[in-house]
Amino acid sequence: MIVQRAIEEAGISTIVIAALPPVVRQAGAPRVTAPLVPMGANAGEPNNPEMQRNIVRDTLEQLEKIETPGRIVSLPYEYIAKI
Amino acid sequence: MGLTVIKGLQSEIYVPITPPVVWTPVEKPLKEMTVALVTAAGVHLKSDKRFNLAGDTGYRIIPSDVDSKDLMVSHGGYDNSDVNKDINCMLPIDRLRELKEEGFIKEIAPKHIGFMGGGGDVEEFINHTGPEIAEVLKEENVDAVLLTAG
Repeated sequence: MIVQRAIEEAGISTIVIAALPPVVRQAGAPRVTAPLVPMGANAGEPNNPEMQRNIVRDTLEQLEKIETPGRIVSLPYEYIAKI
Repeated sequence: MGLTVIKGLQSEIYVPITPPVVWTPVEKPLKEMTVALVTAAGVHLKSDKRFNLAGDTGYRIIPSDVDSKDLMVSHGGYDNSDVNKDINCMLPIDRLRELKEEGFIKEIAPKHIGFMGGGGDVEEFINHTGPEIAEVLKEENVDAVLLTAG
């Protein structure tokens, strides 16, 4: 989130797709979306282009919609990694 | 009796402090935006130098016209098995291309950035790595950055 904050400070709007929303909240991320994914598959299940595209599209939409710094928007996509 | 019984008493336990707000308002619609990807997941070109898994404050440039099969991950802080199967799990470059084709965004930035987040030399990230990455993105005039991290 240090890097996200640096980019935002430089005058570029940012949003992060987070697997661990409480962590990014604590670190001061300006805009966050949180699908139900494990770390390492933030943008969705591997080889599932539809889920990934939806997560990326919805996240970009939230870039426009979020008006409160630090807001976390949950996304309705779930991927549970088989370990 | 007020809630404060003893003035100036402080906890001996260190608690994390959320840093002050940073905020750049969005000023144009998505379909007019140039978008770059930045990931803390340690993504880089296979031909590039790997990150030091014990801690690395460097970053790697990922050219926009890259074949996603020419990308890999070196990161010591999370299970890489999903992203090894499909780099789009953390750098959704193919998905961004599809959204550009749809006209959902206007353009994809010429350069994207991978670094190894999740710890390391925090001071170095704050004072150097972060501002340097921001500078690369400013130079290519991006309107928005989509990150994957945390």
